[in-house]
Amino acid sequence: MKTAYVGLFITVALLVQTTVVRIGAGGTPVDLVLIVVVLTALQRGPVVGLWAGTFGGLFQDALSGGIIGVSGLTKTIIGVGSGIAGSRFILGTVWHRLTFVIGASLVHAFCYLGIYSLIGLESPMLPLNAVGVEAGLNGVVAILGPWLFRVMPAMFHRFRQGRNPLNRRRWMTS
Amino acid sequence: MLTQVGSEIVMDRRQRTGYLVLAIVLAHVILISAQVNAAPGTSVLQSVTFGVFSEVQRWVTSARDGVFDVWSGYVGLRGVREDNLRLNVEISDLQLELQEQRALANQTRSLERLLKLRETVALPTLSARVIAADSTPYFRTLTVDRGRDNGVRTDLAVIAPAGVVGRVVGDPGPRAAQVQLLIDRNAAAGALVERTRASGVVVGTDDSALLMMEYVSNLEDVRVGDEVVTSGIDGIYPKGFRIGKVTNVEEGVGLYQVIHVEPIVDFSQLEDVLVVLNSQAVRSRSESE
Repeated sequence: MKTAYVGLFITVALLVQTTVVRIGAGGTPVDLVLIVVVLTALQRGPVVGLWAGTFGGLFQDALSGGIIGVSGLTKTIIGVGSGIAGSRFILGTVWHRLTFVIGASLVHAFCYLGIYSLIGLESPMLPLNAVGVEAGLNGVVAILGPWLFRVMPAMFHRFRQGRNPLNRRRWMTS
Repeated sequence: MLTQVGSEIVMDRRQRTGYLVLAIVLAHVILISAQVNAAPGTSVLQSVTFGVFSEVQRWVTSARDGVFDVWSGYVGLRGVREDNLRLNVEISDLQLELQEQRALANQTRSLERLLKLRETVALPTLSARVIAADSTPYFRTLTVDRGRDNGVRTDLAVIAPAGVVGRVVGDPGPRAAQVQLLIDRNAAAGALVERTRASGVVVGTDDSALLMMEYVSNLEDVRVGDEVVTSGIDGIYPKGFRIGKVTNVEEGVGLYQVIHVEPIVDFSQLEDVLVVLNSQAVRSRSESE
């Protein structure tokens, strides 16, 4: 059941990334699948991270114009790494998680581009600042996403009651 | 005794995870190697996943548009309306109506432009709607809602009222196709400078807002502000369609100039495009001109 949820989250992330938040030229500079993989692995350990990374990466590969397996391999590595880190370290604060997701995004980008360089094919090379922007945005979304997910029901409840959903902080759940 | 058994179980689990990681990493490496050595083309996994997922993407895009319509037409105005309703119901209703009319007018203008382009292009074209972006931030592609069933094939040119958009890549699904944008690093198009007819090849770069025009001799006269259009020499893009404007010209180290071109199409705002259906007609038109 939990595995099904992870699969569902990844599918929804991919759908949102390709259809709803289509802001860049051709795509969005945020990798929602990577965020789901990292957050899932941090919470559920290396084995779930491994499967989430493999499934999410291969799914992404199959939909993009690149070689199948490159994103799968990098996300698998990130999933396992995040799972091991999650089981060894306590990443309780927002800053810890932000730093971790940014780090994971940078490692992911360099692994991805590195594999293309190893293969010797024309790599979809991004300038360094674009990789940095993507990592930063991934970090922000990884913090804001779960937070919004937690507070949305309470905000919606207040909205339906006719009260300002953003008024003071009564809608906070914790 | 119990501690020893417990530690053995933990060790066993760790070993199993290690083997699993190794097996999956190896499987990925084999998968990648198989594709690198194989002939270029689209794999079955890619075509099946694209075919199935594009249907879901089409549905989600429609749902998203529906939600946005509801949001802009009702929910977004609800706060304003609640304040204003007591004061002036009529103004609120008119505002709502005005917004709808504006949205309709914008849509009509966009379609009108597309229709005008269709009339001016003497090639069979098919209008298509953009339904999704690329699944990774590393490639610059789009998915359109027309596919094999509508006559879309690989390597057909895709254009917009402003200029050239890109070409169809991969194996199109029954009702969707993937379009490689001209700004993708792996994209290229035969091009010429409209003023001097100096020809070269326009390619995508790392920067999504910039194209490079390559293979233009140092002897050719190219200036900043010159219009760059398609040459039709590649047999994909019809001749004479606008690509962009020259923003920088430098004398290269070798035989060729370094020319930067700013694309004319705003790729982040693309909603409707035209697919040029007959690549044979493109070729013969280019040859006859």
